[in-house]
Amino acid sequence: MQPNYFAVFREFARNSLVREMTFRGNFILDCISSLSWVFMQLGLYLVIFEHTNQLGDGTGWSRWPFFVFLATTLFVNSLVQFFFMTNMEELSDLIRTGNLDFALLKPIDTQFLLSMRKFEWSSLANLVFAAILLGVALTHLDFTPTPLQMLLYVFYVMCGVALLYSLMIGLGSISVWLGRNESLYDFWFYITNFSRYPMEIYSGPFGTPLRLAFTFAVPILLVANVPARLMAWPLASQDWRLAAYAAVASIVALVASRKVFYKALDAYRSASS
Amino acid sequence: MPVVEIEGLTKSYRVYQKNEGLLAAVRGLFHRQYRTVDAVRGIDLTVEQGEFVAFLGPNGAGKTTTLKLLSGVIHPSGGTAHVMGYVPWKREHAYRRRFALVMGQKNQLWWDLPAQESFRLHQQIYRIDATDFDRTRDELTELLQVRQLLGRPVRELSLGERMKMELIAALLHSPEVLFLDEPTIGLDVVAQHNIQQFLKHYQEVRQITILLTSHYMKDVAALCRRAVIIAQGRIMYDGSLAGIVDRFSGHKVVTLAFADDAELPNLARFGTVVEARAPKVKLRVDRPKVAEMLAAVLSQHVVSDVSVEDPPLEEVIADMFQSAEASLATADA
Repeated sequence: MQPNYFAVFREFARNSLVREMTFRGNFILDCISSLSWVFMQLGLYLVIFEHTNQLGDGTGWSRWPFFVFLATTLFVNSLVQFFFMTNMEELSDLIRTGNLDFALLKPIDTQFLLSMRKFEWSSLANLVFAAILLGVALTHLDFTPTPLQMLLYVFYVMCGVALLYSLMIGLGSISVWLGRNESLYDFWFYITNFSRYPMEIYSGPFGTPLRLAFTFAVPILLVANVPARLMAWPLASQDWRLAAYAAVASIVALVASRKVFYKALDAYRSASS
Repeated sequence: MPVVEIEGLTKSYRVYQKNEGLLAAVRGLFHRQYRTVDAVRGIDLTVEQGEFVAFLGPNGAGKTTTLKLLSGVIHPSGGTAHVMGYVPWKREHAYRRRFALVMGQKNQLWWDLPAQESFRLHQQIYRIDATDFDRTRDELTELLQVRQLLGRPVRELSLGERMKMELIAALLHSPEVLFLDEPTIGLDVVAQHNIQQFLKHYQEVRQITILLTSHYMKDVAALCRRAVIIAQGRIMYDGSLAGIVDRFSGHKVVTLAFADDAELPNLARFGTVVEARAPKVKLRVDRPKVAEMLAAVLSQHVVSDVSVEDPPLEEVIADMFQSAEASLATADA
C-alpha cells in the first residue's frame, strides 16, 4: 500500500501552520522582516531606474519589464522559502545529531518527508506582494497574457523552484560525508544571488564566462529568466530554445539531486545515542 | 520461522583521530589520521516470534548499533540480517510498516505541538484506518494514563510523559517487531516502573517480538526471560537471565551470623571476606567449597543464622564486561 502523499502533505501544512500560530509574535515579525527585504529590493531598483532607462543598452530590460522579472524572482524565492527553506536548513542538523534516524523508519519516500516537513507560512506574504507587483507591471506594459501563456508561466516558475531546490538538497546531502556542513548551505545563497538578474547583463570578458557557467554548469540563470521573458515580452525564437532547455535542465537537476540524496542516505552513519 | 535472523553481522566505522591541542588541530587540517572502530564484530542471533529479548552491555558495546542495523537506519560492513524475511537496510516500505524503533535519548514528536498532532501525522504516513487509529490511540493513552496530556505541547511534558507519548507514536501502527533502545533512561523509579508494566502487558497481550537494550537490570529482570550480553561488539552470552549467574559466577556469597559475637573467627582460608562486622561475616566462597566450608564452620562455632546467595546480577555482568575488555586488550596487543 502506497502512502497517501497528499494527506501527509496536508498534515505537514496544517501542523506547520498550527506551530507558527502558536508563536504569533514570531510569525508577524517573520512576515514583516521578509516583506521589508522585498520593499528594500523594490526601492533599490526604483532608485536605479531614476538614473537609467534600461539595465544595459539594448537589453530591453527597462523599468516595467524588469519589475516583471523582479516579481518572478520573488515568486520563485518565496515558493522555495515556503516549501523547502526550513527543511533544508534543518537537514544538516538532522544528519549531525543522528535525528535523521526517524525519517529513515517511515514507510514513505524519505526525500519527500525531509523536504516538506515544515512550511514557512510567513513567506506567503512575499508571494502576495509578488502577485501585486506582477499585476501592476503587466498593466503598465499593457499586456494581458493568454491562458496558455499563464500556464507556461506557472510551469516555468515551477521549473525555477525545482532548479533551486535541487541545488539546495544536493548541497545539503553532502553533510552526510562531511559530518558538519554549514558553509555549503551558505554557498547556496551566494550562488543563487546570480539568478536575480537578467542574463543579458552577463556579457563581456567577465560576464560571458559567468553566463555560460550559470546557464550550463549550474543552470540557476534559467530560474527567473525564462518565466520572466514569457511575461515581459513575446518570446523571440531563440528564447524557445532556452525555454526547452530550461525544462530539460529542471528534470535533469531533480533526478541528479535525488540520486545524490539517496547515495548520501546509504552512507549515513547516524550518531551515537 | 524465526522473526530475526542475524549471521556474521559486522559494522566498522572509520573515525578521525583527534589529538589534543591547537597545533594538533591545525596539523589535522592537512594530515588526518583515521582509526577503525569495530562497533559490531560478527554477531549471530536468532529470535523467535513473541520473544522479549534483552540486549545487555556496557556503553559502546554495540547494542544500539545492532538495533540501528536491524532498523535499516545504517548499512552493515558485512554479514546478513533478516527481520520478518526483509533485509532491513533495503528500507522497503513494506518492512517499515511492520516494525518500530523507540530511542530513549531521541524524540520524534513535533516539539512545539501537542502529541496528538504528531499522532495524526503518523496516521497518514502509515495509512492507519480512522477507526483503528482512534481505537489504538485510546487504548494506548488509557494504558499509559496520558489521555489528559494529549493536547499539551510536547515541550511542556515531563521526560516520563514524553517517553510515554513516544511509545504511543511508535505503536500506533501496531508493529509486529519493536526495537527499544534504553526506553527508561533518565526516568525516575515510578516512571520506569510504569513503562515496564506497560511493556510487559502490551507484549503479553499482543505477543509481538521485542528487542530491548537497557542499562537498568530492573527493566531486564521485569521484562525479559532471555538475555543477550554484548561486549566489544561480540555476543558473550545468550540464554536465560538466571543462567548468567550459573555460568559466569564461580562463587556464592555466604553470610554467617555468630551467636557468640565477642570475637569473629578467621575465615580467610575458605574464601574472600567481603565484610566482617560482629556478629556477621560476609564472604565470597568458590561454589565447590561452599558445602565443605559450612560443615567446618558449623562444627566449630555456634552460628545463629546462615544465608547462601548468588552474587547480584549487576556484579556478575560487570565482572564479565571487565574480563571481556581485558581479553580484547590482550588480543589487540
